[in-house]
Amino acid sequence: MRRATSVCYPLLLAAGILLSACASPPTPPENLLAPDAEQAAAREMQTRSFDVADRTQAMRGVIAALQDLGFIIERANEPLGLVTAARFAEPSYQDMVGITVTVQPEDSDKMRIRANVIYNNKPITDPKIYQNFFATLERSIFVGRN
Amino acid sequence: MPAAGLLVVLAFATACAHTPVEEFFRLTAESAAQRAAETRMFEAASERELLSASAAVLQDLGFQVVESVREVGFLRAAKERSAREYSQEIWRWVLFTFSTIGLASGSNTLILLPVDLQQQIDASLVARPLDAAGSRHEVRVLFYRIVWKSDGASGNQSIPPGEQRMETIRDPRIYQLFFAKLSKAVFLEAHKI
Repeated sequence: MRRATSVCYPLLLAAGILLSACASPPTPPENLLAPDAEQAAAREMQTRSFDVADRTQAMRGVIAALQDLGFIIERANEPLGLVTAARFAEPSYQDMVGITVTVQPEDSDKMRIRANVIYNNKPITDPKIYQNFFATLERSIFVGRN
Repeated sequence: MPAAGLLVVLAFATACAHTPVEEFFRLTAESAAQRAAETRMFEAASERELLSASAAVLQDLGFQVVESVREVGFLRAAKERSAREYSQEIWRWVLFTFSTIGLASGSNTLILLPVDLQQQIDASLVARPLDAAGSRHEVRVLFYRIVWKSDGASGNQSIPPGEQRMETIRDPRIYQLFFAKLSKAVFLEAHKI
Protein backbone atom coordinates (compact mmCIF):
# COMPACT_ATOMS: atom_id res chain seq x y z
CA MET A 1 0.00 0.00 0.00
CA ARG A 2 2.79 2.39 0.99
CA ARG A 3 4.73 1.51 -2.16
CA ALA A 4 1.65 2.25 -4.34
CA THR A 5 1.25 5.68 -2.69
CA SER A 6 4.93 6.53 -3.11
CA VAL A 7 4.67 5.72 -6.86
CA CYS A 8 1.37 7.62 -7.30
CA TYR A 9 2.58 10.94 -5.87
CA PRO A 10 5.38 11.59 -8.41
CA LEU A 11 3.03 10.52 -11.22
CA LEU A 12 0.33 12.91 -10.03
CA LEU A 13 2.92 15.71 -9.70
CA ALA A 14 4.23 15.07 -13.23
CA ALA A 15 0.65 15.03 -14.61
CA GLY A 16 -0.07 18.32 -12.80
CA ILE A 17 3.06 19.96 -14.25
CA LEU A 18 2.18 18.73 -17.77
CA LEU A 19 -1.39 20.02 -17.47
CA SER A 20 -0.31 23.42 -16.20
CA ALA A 21 2.24 23.68 -19.03
CA CYS A 22 -0.49 22.98 -21.60
CA ALA A 23 -2.94 25.52 -20.13
CA SER A 24 -2.94 28.95 -21.82
CA PRO A 25 -1.16 31.70 -19.84
CA PRO A 26 -3.47 33.94 -17.76
CA THR A 27 -4.43 37.09 -19.62
CA PRO A 28 -3.73 40.36 -17.78
CA PRO A 29 -6.82 42.34 -16.82
CA GLU A 30 -7.76 45.07 -19.30
CA ASN A 31 -7.64 47.77 -16.65
CA LEU A 32 -4.10 46.81 -15.53
CA LEU A 33 -2.62 50.25 -16.25
CA ALA A 34 -5.82 52.28 -15.98
CA PRO A 35 -5.77 55.00 -13.32
CA ASP A 36 -7.97 54.28 -10.31
CA ALA A 37 -9.23 56.25 -7.31
CA GLU A 38 -6.47 54.84 -5.09
CA GLN A 39 -3.77 56.22 -7.38
CA ALA A 40 -5.36 59.67 -7.36
CA ALA A 41 -5.57 59.62 -3.55
CA ALA A 42 -1.93 58.50 -3.27
CA ARG A 43 -0.82 61.29 -5.61
CA GLU A 44 -2.70 63.87 -3.59
CA MET A 45 -1.18 62.61 -0.35
CA GLN A 46 2.33 62.63 -1.84
CA THR A 47 2.09 66.08 -3.44
CA ARG A 48 2.27 69.56 -1.95
CA SER A 49 2.64 73.06 -3.49
CA PHE A 50 5.21 75.52 -2.19
CA ASP A 51 5.62 79.24 -2.82
CA VAL A 52 9.03 79.05 -4.44
CA ALA A 53 9.72 80.55 -7.85
CA ASP A 54 13.11 78.98 -8.50
CA ARG A 55 13.32 75.19 -9.01
CA THR A 56 16.99 75.00 -7.96
CA GLN A 57 16.13 76.76 -4.70
CA ALA A 58 13.30 74.30 -4.09
CA MET A 59 15.64 71.38 -4.81
CA ARG A 60 18.19 72.77 -2.37
CA GLY A 61 15.39 72.96 0.22
CA VAL A 62 14.49 69.31 -0.45
CA ILE A 63 18.12 68.24 -0.11
CA ALA A 64 18.58 70.19 3.15
CA ALA A 65 15.35 68.73 4.59
CA LEU A 66 16.40 65.19 3.73
CA GLN A 67 19.85 65.76 5.24
CA ASP A 68 18.24 67.10 8.43
CA LEU A 69 16.16 63.91 8.59
CA GLY A 70 19.36 61.85 8.41
CA PHE A 71 18.97 60.72 4.80
CA ILE A 72 21.91 60.10 2.51
CA ILE A 73 21.53 61.93 -0.79
CA GLU A 74 22.18 59.33 -3.47
CA ARG A 75 21.26 61.10 -6.68
CA ALA A 76 20.13 64.49 -7.88
CA ASN A 77 19.16 65.63 -11.36
CA GLU A 78 18.64 69.36 -11.69
CA PRO A 79 17.11 69.45 -15.21
CA LEU A 80 14.48 66.88 -14.14
CA GLY A 81 14.08 68.23 -10.60
CA LEU A 82 14.77 64.81 -9.11
CA VAL A 83 16.32 63.90 -5.74
CA THR A 84 16.80 60.31 -4.52
CA ALA A 85 17.85 59.58 -0.96
CA ALA A 86 17.92 56.69 1.51
CA ARG A 87 18.70 55.98 5.14
CA PHE A 88 19.21 52.95 7.32
CA ALA A 89 16.25 52.20 9.55
CA GLU A 90 18.45 52.53 12.66
CA PRO A 91 18.83 50.73 15.05
CA SER A 92 18.21 47.99 12.48
CA TYR A 93 20.95 48.14 9.84
CA GLN A 94 19.27 45.55 7.64
CA ASP A 95 16.25 47.72 6.74
CA MET A 96 16.24 50.70 4.39
CA VAL A 97 13.96 53.69 3.95
CA GLY A 98 14.12 55.20 0.47
CA ILE A 99 12.60 58.39 -0.90
CA THR A 100 12.33 59.94 -4.36
CA VAL A 101 11.31 63.59 -4.59
CA THR A 102 10.36 65.39 -7.81
CA VAL A 103 10.16 69.17 -8.09
CA GLN A 104 8.02 70.51 -10.95
CA PRO A 105 7.01 74.10 -11.74
CA GLU A 106 3.29 74.56 -11.14
CA ASP A 107 2.91 78.29 -11.63
CA SER A 108 5.25 81.20 -12.17
CA ASP A 109 5.84 81.44 -8.40
CA LYS A 110 4.91 77.93 -7.23
CA MET A 111 6.54 74.52 -7.25
CA ARG A 112 4.75 71.21 -7.01
CA ILE A 113 6.77 68.75 -4.92
CA ARG A 114 5.96 65.04 -4.89
CA ALA A 115 7.57 62.47 -2.60
CA ASN A 116 7.45 58.67 -2.80
CA VAL A 117 8.59 56.73 0.25
CA ILE A 118 9.50 53.05 0.27
CA TYR A 119 10.45 50.86 3.23
CA ASN A 120 12.41 47.76 2.20
CA ASN A 121 11.17 48.27 -1.38
CA LYS A 122 7.52 48.38 -0.22
CA PRO A 123 5.58 51.61 -0.95
CA ILE A 124 4.46 53.55 2.12
CA THR A 125 0.84 54.73 2.10
CA ASP A 126 0.56 56.23 5.59
CA PRO A 127 -0.41 59.93 5.13
CA LYS A 128 1.22 60.83 8.47
CA ILE A 129 4.66 60.08 7.01
CA TYR A 130 4.15 62.47 4.10
CA GLN A 131 2.74 65.14 6.44
CA ASN A 132 5.87 64.88 8.61
CA PHE A 133 8.12 65.12 5.56
CA PHE A 134 6.33 68.16 4.12
CA ALA A 135 6.41 69.89 7.54
CA THR A 136 10.21 69.47 7.62
CA LEU A 137 10.46 70.59 3.99
CA GLU A 138 8.39 73.70 4.64
CA ARG A 139 10.71 74.65 7.48
CA SER A 140 13.78 73.98 5.33
CA ILE A 141 12.48 76.09 2.42
CA PHE A 142 11.60 78.90 4.84
CA VAL A 143 15.11 78.84 6.37
CA GLY A 144 16.68 78.76 2.88
CA ARG A 145 14.62 81.74 1.76
CA ASN A 146 15.58 83.80 4.80
CA MET B 1 22.35 23.10 19.50
CA PRO B 2 22.68 25.73 22.30
CA ALA B 3 24.76 27.84 19.90
CA ALA B 4 22.07 27.63 17.23
CA GLY B 5 19.45 28.52 19.86
CA LEU B 6 21.48 31.54 20.95
CA LEU B 7 21.76 32.69 17.33
CA VAL B 8 17.98 32.39 16.87
CA VAL B 9 17.37 34.44 20.05
CA LEU B 10 19.86 37.10 18.88
CA ALA B 11 18.29 37.22 15.41
CA PHE B 12 14.84 37.55 16.99
CA ALA B 13 16.01 40.34 19.29
CA THR B 14 17.52 42.20 16.32
CA ALA B 15 14.36 41.70 14.27
CA CYS B 16 12.27 43.18 17.08
CA ALA B 17 14.36 46.38 17.25
CA HIS B 18 12.30 48.30 14.68
CA THR B 19 11.53 51.99 14.63
CA PRO B 20 8.16 53.01 13.12
CA VAL B 21 8.72 54.51 9.64
CA GLU B 22 6.96 57.79 10.55
CA GLU B 23 9.72 58.50 13.09
CA PHE B 24 12.25 58.77 10.25
CA PHE B 25 10.41 61.80 8.89
CA ARG B 26 10.31 63.75 12.12
CA LEU B 27 13.10 66.03 13.34
CA THR B 28 14.50 64.90 16.67
CA ALA B 29 16.56 66.54 19.39
CA GLU B 30 19.63 64.86 17.87
CA SER B 31 19.01 66.35 14.40
CA ALA B 32 20.53 69.73 15.33
CA ALA B 33 23.61 68.14 16.93
CA GLN B 34 24.16 65.91 13.90
CA ARG B 35 23.75 68.86 11.59
CA ALA B 36 26.37 70.82 13.57
CA ALA B 37 28.84 67.92 13.43
CA GLU B 38 28.38 67.42 9.68
CA THR B 39 28.39 71.09 8.65
CA ARG B 40 31.02 73.85 8.33
CA MET B 41 30.94 77.32 6.83
CA PHE B 42 33.52 78.46 4.32
CA GLU B 43 34.44 81.71 2.61
CA ALA B 44 34.95 81.00 -1.08
CA ALA B 45 34.69 83.09 -4.23
CA SER B 46 32.15 80.71 -5.77
CA GLU B 47 30.33 77.48 -5.14
CA ARG B 48 32.17 75.98 -8.08
CA GLU B 49 35.50 76.69 -6.36
CA LEU B 50 34.25 75.11 -3.13
CA LEU B 51 32.99 71.99 -4.91
CA SER B 52 36.27 71.69 -6.76
CA ALA B 53 38.18 71.90 -3.45
CA SER B 54 35.82 69.32 -1.90
CA ALA B 55 36.40 66.90 -4.78
CA ALA B 56 40.16 67.40 -4.40
CA VAL B 57 40.00 66.54 -0.66
CA LEU B 58 37.91 63.44 -1.31
CA GLN B 59 40.46 62.37 -3.94
CA ASP B 60 43.29 62.98 -1.45
CA LEU B 61 41.46 60.67 0.97
CA GLY B 62 41.34 57.93 -1.67
CA PHE B 63 37.72 58.37 -2.74
CA GLN B 64 36.44 58.11 -6.31
CA VAL B 65 33.81 60.71 -7.19
CA VAL B 66 30.81 58.72 -8.49
CA GLU B 67 28.16 61.45 -8.78
CA SER B 68 28.31 65.22 -9.18
CA VAL B 69 25.57 67.80 -9.80
CA ARG B 70 27.03 71.31 -9.87
CA GLU B 71 23.62 73.08 -10.03
CA VAL B 72 22.66 71.90 -6.53
CA GLY B 73 26.23 71.62 -5.18
CA PHE B 74 26.17 67.84 -4.77
CA LEU B 75 29.04 65.33 -4.76
CA ARG B 76 29.06 61.64 -3.90
CA ALA B 77 32.23 59.60 -3.60
CA ALA B 78 33.14 56.04 -2.61
CA LYS B 79 36.14 53.89 -1.77
CA GLU B 80 36.61 50.21 -0.89
CA ARG B 81 38.89 49.04 1.87
CA SER B 82 39.53 45.99 4.04
CA ALA B 83 37.30 45.86 7.13
CA ARG B 84 39.32 43.28 9.05
CA GLU B 85 39.82 44.05 12.74
CA TYR B 86 42.16 42.25 15.13
CA SER B 87 39.60 42.13 17.95
CA GLN B 88 37.04 40.33 15.77
CA GLU B 89 39.66 37.85 14.48
CA ILE B 90 40.81 37.10 18.06
CA TRP B 91 37.21 36.52 19.21
CA ARG B 92 36.56 34.29 16.21
CA TRP B 93 39.51 32.05 17.03
CA VAL B 94 38.96 32.04 20.82
CA LEU B 95 35.34 30.90 20.37
CA PHE B 96 36.35 28.43 17.67
CA THR B 97 39.01 26.89 19.96
CA PHE B 98 36.59 26.57 22.91
CA SER B 99 33.88 25.10 20.68
CA THR B 100 36.28 22.48 19.26
CA ILE B 101 37.07 21.41 22.84
CA GLY B 102 33.34 20.82 23.31
CA LEU B 103 33.28 19.02 19.96
CA ALA B 104 35.98 16.62 21.17
CA SER B 105 33.82 15.77 24.20
CA GLY B 106 30.99 14.75 21.89
CA SER B 107 28.64 17.77 21.91
CA ASN B 108 27.88 19.58 18.66
CA THR B 109 28.83 23.13 19.61
CA LEU B 110 31.08 24.32 16.78
CA ILE B 111 31.01 28.13 16.58
CA LEU B 112 32.85 30.07 13.87
CA LEU B 113 31.83 33.72 14.12
CA PRO B 114 31.54 35.62 10.81
CA VAL B 115 33.91 38.63 10.84
CA ASP B 116 33.99 41.88 8.84
CA LEU B 117 35.91 41.34 5.59
CA GLN B 118 35.46 44.21 3.14
CA GLN B 119 33.86 47.66 3.35
CA GLN B 120 32.74 50.41 1.01
CA ILE B 121 33.00 53.87 2.56
CA ASP B 122 30.80 56.52 0.93
CA ALA B 123 30.69 60.29 1.29
CA SER B 124 27.65 62.37 0.35
CA LEU B 125 28.47 66.11 0.24
CA VAL B 126 26.26 69.14 -0.39
CA ALA B 127 27.45 72.76 -0.66
CA ARG B 128 25.04 75.67 -0.62
CA PRO B 129 25.43 79.46 -0.62
CA LEU B 130 24.47 81.33 2.54
CA ASP B 131 24.29 84.87 1.18
CA ALA B 132 23.17 86.57 -2.02
CA ALA B 133 26.71 87.69 -2.84
CA GLY B 134 27.76 84.03 -2.94
CA SER B 135 30.90 84.42 -0.85
CA ARG B 136 29.75 82.48 2.23
CA HIS B 137 28.92 78.82 1.83
CA GLU B 138 27.90 75.88 3.94
CA VAL B 139 29.24 72.37 3.34
CA ARG B 140 27.47 69.38 4.82
CA VAL B 141 29.00 65.95 4.46
CA LEU B 142 27.85 62.52 5.60
CA PHE B 143 30.08 59.46 5.72
CA TYR B 144 28.62 55.96 5.82
CA ARG B 145 29.82 52.45 5.11
CA ILE B 146 28.63 49.08 3.86
CA VAL B 147 30.42 46.10 5.42
CA TRP B 148 30.51 42.58 4.00
CA LYS B 149 31.00 39.67 6.40
CA SER B 150 33.00 36.46 6.02
CA ASP B 151 31.59 32.96 6.33
CA GLY B 152 31.00 31.20 9.63
CA ALA B 153 29.38 28.21 11.26
CA SER B 154 27.05 27.40 14.14
CA GLY B 155 26.80 23.72 15.04
CA ASN B 156 26.01 21.84 11.85
CA GLN B 157 24.83 24.95 10.05
CA SER B 158 27.29 26.88 7.93
CA ILE B 159 26.80 30.63 7.50
CA PRO B 160 27.56 31.72 3.91
CA PRO B 161 29.84 34.75 3.31
CA GLY B 162 28.58 38.06 1.96
CA GLU B 163 26.11 39.18 4.64
CA GLN B 164 25.82 42.99 4.51
CA ARG B 165 25.69 45.57 7.28
CA MET B 166 25.29 49.29 6.70
CA GLU B 167 26.03 52.06 9.14
CA THR B 168 26.38 55.81 9.30
CA ILE B 169 29.80 56.98 10.50
CA ARG B 170 29.26 59.24 13.50
CA ASP B 171 32.83 59.58 14.83
CA PRO B 172 33.32 63.39 15.09
CA ARG B 173 37.09 63.03 14.51
CA ILE B 174 36.44 61.82 10.94
CA TYR B 175 34.39 64.95 10.22
CA GLN B 176 36.92 67.26 11.92
CA LEU B 177 39.72 65.74 9.86
CA PHE B 178 37.75 66.15 6.64
CA PHE B 179 36.85 69.79 7.33
CA ALA B 180 40.42 70.64 8.36
CA LYS B 181 41.62 69.29 5.01
CA LEU B 182 38.82 71.09 3.17
CA SER B 183 39.72 74.36 4.86
CA LYS B 184 43.29 74.03 3.56
CA ALA B 185 42.08 73.02 0.10
CA VAL B 186 39.75 76.04 -0.12
CA PHE B 187 42.69 78.30 0.74
CA LEU B 188 44.91 76.62 -1.86
CA GLU B 189 42.13 76.79 -4.48
CA ALA B 190 41.57 80.50 -3.79
CA HIS B 191 45.25 81.29 -4.20
CA LYS B 192 45.70 78.86 -7.11
CA ILE B 193 48.52 77.07 -5.28
